[in-house]
Amino acid sequence: MSEITLNELEKRYGETTAVEDVSVEIRDGELLCLLGPSGSGKSTTLRMIAGLETPTDGEITLAGADVTDQPAYERNTSTVFQDWALFPHKTVLENVAFGLKMRDVPKEERRERAEAMLERVQMGGYGDEDPTTLSGGQKQRVALARSLAVNPDVLLLDEPLSNLDKRLREDMQIELREIHEDLEETFVHVTHDQDEAFTLADRIGIMDQGELIQVGEPTEVYENPANRFIEGFLGDTNFVGSEVVGVTDGAVRVETELGYELVLPTDRDPDVAEGTELTLSLRPEVLSIERNPTADAAEGAEQPVLADGSTLNAVVGTVENVLYRGSTVRYSVSVNGTAMFAERTGASTDALTAGEEIRIEWDGTDVLAFRADGSRVTL
Amino acid sequence: MSSNLHRERLETAAFRAGYLALLALMLLPLLVVVVTSFSGTGRLAFPPESYSLMWYVEFLDSVRWLDAFTNSIVIGVGTALVATLLGVMGAFGQEIDDGSLGSILAPLVLIPLLIPPVILGITLLMYFNEVGLRGSYASIVLAHTLWATPLVYFVMRSVFSRFDWQQLDAAQDLGAGPVQSFVHVVLPNVKHGIFVGGLLAFIISLQEFVMALFLSTPSTETIPVLAWTEIRQALDPMVSVVSTFLIVISVVGILLAVVATNLEWLSKQLS
Repeated sequence: MSEITLNELEKRYGETTAVEDVSVEIRDGELLCLLGPSGSGKSTTLRMIAGLETPTDGEITLAGADVTDQPAYERNTSTVFQDWALFPHKTVLENVAFGLKMRDVPKEERRERAEAMLERVQMGGYGDEDPTTLSGGQKQRVALARSLAVNPDVLLLDEPLSNLDKRLREDMQIELREIHEDLEETFVHVTHDQDEAFTLADRIGIMDQGELIQVGEPTEVYENPANRFIEGFLGDTNFVGSEVVGVTDGAVRVETELGYELVLPTDRDPDVAEGTELTLSLRPEVLSIERNPTADAAEGAEQPVLADGSTLNAVVGTVENVLYRGSTVRYSVSVNGTAMFAERTGASTDALTAGEEIRIEWDGTDVLAFRADGSRVTL
Repeated sequence: MSSNLHRERLETAAFRAGYLALLALMLLPLLVVVVTSFSGTGRLAFPPESYSLMWYVEFLDSVRWLDAFTNSIVIGVGTALVATLLGVMGAFGQEIDDGSLGSILAPLVLIPLLIPPVILGITLLMYFNEVGLRGSYASIVLAHTLWATPLVYFVMRSVFSRFDWQQLDAAQDLGAGPVQSFVHVVLPNVKHGIFVGGLLAFIISLQEFVMALFLSTPSTETIPVLAWTEIRQALDPMVSVVSTFLIVISVVGILLAVVATNLEWLSKQLS
């Protein structure tokens, strides 16, 4: 068993707080991704789990034992660093065998185990090479082998793929996933790349400004983000400013900066009042684009709540820009002077061109709303 | 355009000529010393009236000079060891712990270099008398260490600033304790720097005169101290012979340092 608990973990450097009140339970054998922009405290959190930083406050337990004050060399965690930190004066094999040597494993055995580990990461036969002569991808594999060789309870990965090019990065993501499934060990992987987190993670923990905002399975954090920051960070979206103009049973009516009044269906008391400012999130995948808008939609009049609880919302705008991105085509649209974007798959036959009038439609239940402080409005 | 280029070349040439002239002017005394050491007469004159190795023979026959030579080497090696240990540990400690003690370390280490050696010499003489170290090798080694440690410290600061500290993290993360990680990971990366620092300390000690004058006794007197006593009695080419030895030792030391720091570069060129 190698579950990790972080309890109100905090790290301050003088006046600045790098990590604030982080509490999470990392389950045995899961792959948790800590995702966040640079400076969000995710690497510092990882280094505290490794024992390379001492927390200012809070505690860390590993497999039930309090390790908060245990130095890195006494913890059975192992880190793959961003720049891999291979020892340049040692051969590849000596690098991989280093941890075993520190554990006083006999020379012959550590040689065999290191070679087996190099085979596993497809670097067999590179044992006698000088690590400084290897390519980025090869160094990455050696670093992974070096960390796995000590058979750690927990493998910690500090953005190890961020220095690789896109193709190699994607290959390594799949390999990491496979290694994780093979070993059934606990992995904590730090990244700033949403796609990487979605590809790898059993659960994602999203950090911003030193705080762990939400922890959940990839679908959960994407579909049900805790606040506006997560909604904006996990994918592209249209944030539209609006103000509540009326709250009725089952619906919140808002006046938007698009110049349209929209209806957000709700099945509970949404705890908003007339005059509350809300930011709406319209993700491109919930928007559909129609050519030749009909006259009645252009008026933006009555938008009733349908029987199944959904509402049909629609706005009319002008295509300003067409951005061909291979698998998708992105349209920048001006709706009464406010910029929005919507997407279609690149395969769709009737490509729209700049200057065309279009109609954008969506189901009101797909819209997320956030208060001015970023918190989510439960609709 | 071309006249500008022309002017630039002229300026470069003038700069080089001036630079070389200055260097030659500073190195000329060394040449005089070496040449006069081969004098065939008892007079220290340049150029010598005749040439011979008689003063070298004399040197190798003189117990007093050979003893002084031994003393200088013993004290130099001792200073190099102690100063290197202190300088390396100070610079290393400051890198891994960014506490407030670290920020005052640099000025603190510098202080001995700023105090006139005469004052240091007198003070240390009184102090070593109190603690019963008077007349020992240790007293001179400690005095020279005061001077050599800051130099080693600053050399090591610059060496450590080029070290990839993530390697230390990696070593500890893989189970290497503080001593193991230093020996297996830090040391192989900085050993050339340590060697250069130690060599610097050795040369500083070899040349130091003022503090040694105060602290040495006839049985521990170093080459500069003996040279000074001898010159006061008679100005003969023996002083040049001794100086030539000192120059040769220093030059060999510098060459060793160059070889040590460029060993990897050298091996890449040869392979």
